[in-house]
Amino acid sequence: MIQFRNSEIGHKNLLLKIDDLQLSQGKVYALVGRNGAGKSTLLQSIIGSIPLLSGEINVEGIGINQLTINQRARLFAFVESKFSGVEYMNVWEYLALGRAPYTSLTGKLSISDKHIIEIIATELNIRDLLEKQTVKISDGERQICAVARALIQETPIILMDEPTAFLDYINRQKLMELLIKIATKKHKCIVLSTHDIDLCLENKIPFLVANKGFVELTILEDKRDLISHIFELD
Amino acid sequence: MNNKRIIIVLTILAILLPVSILCHLFCGQIPLDFSDYFPSDSSNLTTEQLLAREFRIPRMVMALIAGGGLSLAGMLMQTLFRNPLAGPYVLGINSGASLLVAISLMTGVSFFGTEFGLIGSGLIGAMLSGLLMMALAQRLKSQISLLLVGLMFGSFTTALVSIMESFAKAEQLKAYTMWSMGSLQQVEFLQLPIILIVFFIGIVLSVLLVKPLNMLVIGEHSAGLLGLKVLQTRFLIMAITAIFAGVITAFCGPIAFVGLAIPNLTRILFKTQNHTWLIIGNLLIGAIFLLLCDSLIQIMEGQISLPINALTSLLGAPFVVFLLMRKIK
Repeated sequence: MIQFRNSEIGHKNLLLKIDDLQLSQGKVYALVGRNGAGKSTLLQSIIGSIPLLSGEINVEGIGINQLTINQRARLFAFVESKFSGVEYMNVWEYLALGRAPYTSLTGKLSISDKHIIEIIATELNIRDLLEKQTVKISDGERQICAVARALIQETPIILMDEPTAFLDYINRQKLMELLIKIATKKHKCIVLSTHDIDLCLENKIPFLVANKGFVELTILEDKRDLISHIFELD
Repeated sequence: MNNKRIIIVLTILAILLPVSILCHLFCGQIPLDFSDYFPSDSSNLTTEQLLAREFRIPRMVMALIAGGGLSLAGMLMQTLFRNPLAGPYVLGINSGASLLVAISLMTGVSFFGTEFGLIGSGLIGAMLSGLLMMALAQRLKSQISLLLVGLMFGSFTTALVSIMESFAKAEQLKAYTMWSMGSLQQVEFLQLPIILIVFFIGIVLSVLLVKPLNMLVIGEHSAGLLGLKVLQTRFLIMAITAIFAGVITAFCGPIAFVGLAIPNLTRILFKTQNHTWLIIGNLLIGAIFLLLCDSLIQIMEGQISLPINALTSLLGAPFVVFLLMRKIK
């Protein structure tokens, strides 16, 4: 799905180097690393917001720098760590934005667009929220709405920047289970950056460890191993 | 959805608009008959018919356009900057227009030389200050800083204008002072088609931007990831704002608070972020508000002649304070 080849990532100076790495469909990957290791920069580079210093990242065989803005919006959905809501914007209006890459110049939703929103809202159990204002629901509910919007965008890849950062223990677990279910059921490739190592270990998801300028794909089941990996302990 | 609410609000506004138009047309100091507005013989007009054609109709149309246009311009800026306190006045768009109008009225340096020189000056001034604000907005992360920069820019241009005033000749100073008080009476009947065309072009362009505007509500970065061409959109919004604010300021003088208060009032009434409704709402509420304000000025004209700018500030400033009290989180 996503293929890295000699990709050098960074704003101006080299931050991360990925020689050869392939991320596949149907999986959730946890991108972990210390503060400043380059997790957010890597995510921004995958969607093409930050250009690569050298090398390439391909999605389904196409270089990400060759994508038009609209093609990109049909390949990647991005979920930020926090959506704070907008006054007077209700959840339905927010979810409808997920269809923006597919609607015409006027932005009018077709019957099938509306159908997709309805289906996802039902699947994620947020139908009751549709008419509520986005500022008047809880942080946990808003984060589920952000995930719902990403799903409504119908992209093969979903990237998330610390999606569990502002959630309580129960909501973190719920979100993680939901993401794993979505990835397997809908064959999506989900990459999320996180500091929540325990949560990822419990759910047995593969790690992408960003450390010392390299990114390594590992499946570790022992917390001690992982931590020493990330923090370079002996 | 809250469609029911929108329909009710729209119905009320649709009734209020013709009422306020009629109110504006018939509340002047000299009483007019309904028939004076429809002369049977246009080559031989009575004094009343002439008054209706040359003064009342242009003034009514101008109130309609200035109210609707400034509100729409304010809405565009508030959505672009994601800041409910943005507006053509606060962000220095009016100041830029005023500065260039002052230059052309008081220094003799005219930009186009024709009677449309004033409009040209207003338009260029609005566009330049709009571009300046846009460039600064890229560097300023905080919304408060941007507003403060807008206010500083306003003070700076005011100072420049004061310096020009001290050097200006008596009649130049008078012309500028009259203009700066703001009046809806400056437009002549024959200029109306041009203003109306500009106004409708602005509305059509805004309607074409409904989808980008709806996307910008969640921020430029997120909108870009949903396929929005951010730079292009930003430029278009700024251009439309400059057209509205520049042309209206050139003709009517600076009118404060309409562009700041009305878009907020519209959102409070409609409770939506769907810009299809917000555009219609701002046009209607802005027009009604300015028609009623100007009706009041006409009624009081026998006793005092109140500049429109003073009245809108009198009503707008407390409303904005109310908004601030409500918004502080």
